[in-house]
Amino acid sequence: MEIVSLNQISPDQVIIWSWNFIVLNATILYTWLVMAILVVGSWFITRNLSSATNVSRWQHFLEVIISIIRGEISEMTKKGADKYIPLVGTLFLFICVSNVLVVVPGFVAPTSSMTTTAALATCVFIAVPFYGISRNGLFHYVREYFQPNFIFFPFHVMGELSRTLALTVRLFGNIMSHEKVVGILLAVTPFLFPVVMQILGLLIGVIQAYIFAILSMVYIASALSAEDEVHHTETKKEGVSA
Amino acid sequence: MHIDWFVFLAQIFNFLLLMYLLKRFLYGRILKAMDDREAKIVARFAEAEELKVKANEAAELYEKRNQMLNDKKEVMLNEATMAADAKRKELMDKVREEVDAVKARWQDMLVREHDAFFYDLRQRAAKQLYATARKALADLADVELEERIVDEFIRRVKALDEEKSIQIRKAISGGGNKIVIQSAFGISEPRQAQIEEALKKQITNGFTIRYMQQPDIVSGIELRVNGHKVAWSLNEYLETLVESLTETLQKEAHAA
Repeated sequence: MEIVSLNQISPDQVIIWSWNFIVLNATILYTWLVMAILVVGSWFITRNLSSATNVSRWQHFLEVIISIIRGEISEMTKKGADKYIPLVGTLFLFICVSNVLVVVPGFVAPTSSMTTTAALATCVFIAVPFYGISRNGLFHYVREYFQPNFIFFPFHVMGELSRTLALTVRLFGNIMSHEKVVGILLAVTPFLFPVVMQILGLLIGVIQAYIFAILSMVYIASALSAEDEVHHTETKKEGVSA
Repeated sequence: MHIDWFVFLAQIFNFLLLMYLLKRFLYGRILKAMDDREAKIVARFAEAEELKVKANEAAELYEKRNQMLNDKKEVMLNEATMAADAKRKELMDKVREEVDAVKARWQDMLVREHDAFFYDLRQRAAKQLYATARKALADLADVELEERIVDEFIRRVKALDEEKSIQIRKAISGGGNKIVIQSAFGISEPRQAQIEEALKKQITNGFTIRYMQQPDIVSGIELRVNGHKVAWSLNEYLETLVESLTETLQKEAHAA
């Protein structure tokens, strides 16, 4: 079943229903599907959780994933990892499930739409100052943009924007191009080659999910650690002058 | 590249909604379960550690008590050994005393048996000698032994010296003028008259004689009057014979 034809670059172009500016396209539909899988699966597995040592396999599976995410975050933030798990974990799980489900015939990854990746990157773009301000206060966060002096303010803003753009384009480019490459190869090469490419696509999909989540955390952590460094330096100066 | 702003905002909303739902149904629950488990494990480890400490304390206490019991056992064993030794010594002494007593009784009995044996031997030897001598006298001299004994008795009465005669006379008068003549055999009346005559001639007149037959006087005759006596019997010879015989037997026993 060909949902997104080769000449269509994004599932956004597959309009299912629209009214005025309200549009229901393939991107939103498949996003809902992925959300439903994640939410229903989570609810199903976690409805009978056990804190004893004897737990179900699915609970083990989820605990392993959450533990890995928690461990990765802890390596960067050192403390308070649980605060960032909802954002980083949801980014990873959503992107990963979207990318992996590509092997299901008829499924189009929402992450192959730049609208989706831009939305996710925007969330990260908002989350970085949100966590920075909530932890160290608005003044310290804004002052960071003027370090080492005010001339660097535009560069800081450009850096924020460019890395958000990089996040958007990296994920979109990888997933979209992979789908297109597999589609073209199906038309011109024997059957076995696209299968290998699909397997490679699974690997790329998981790696991209990991990269997106880790980079998001790096951005958040850099904002936190920068604030920490400033705070630490000031404390030190006060100590010396006293 | 076209971006539909409605879809863009919808995707942001979708993502935030997913974040909320996963936080509610996944992260919160899973993290709580993991933290609870970790707390339980920590608590269990702490409990185990506490139990270990208690167990160690109990083991030390037990060890100490064991040591005390061992020491006590040692002391009690020593006391029991000493008591047993004392008791054994006491019992050994008692047994030794009993053995000594039995030995003494046995030796006493042996002495008595020895005496009885020689007494019996003497009796038998005397009787045998008496019988042999009587038969020999009868065969050789054709004289009754009793006659010879009476003759010897009369000779002895006649042979009494003056001092002895006076003593006997005083004894007769002090004893109510009664004389008892004991013999192992019966004395015929003529012989009694001879004896009476000899006594009257040698000692005194005015007495009565009572004759008694006494088998214990071995082949002899004796006059008894108030602590004095004139006698002849085979006992004198026999006692010499028995002494000689005893000496010989003892020498034989020592040699064995």
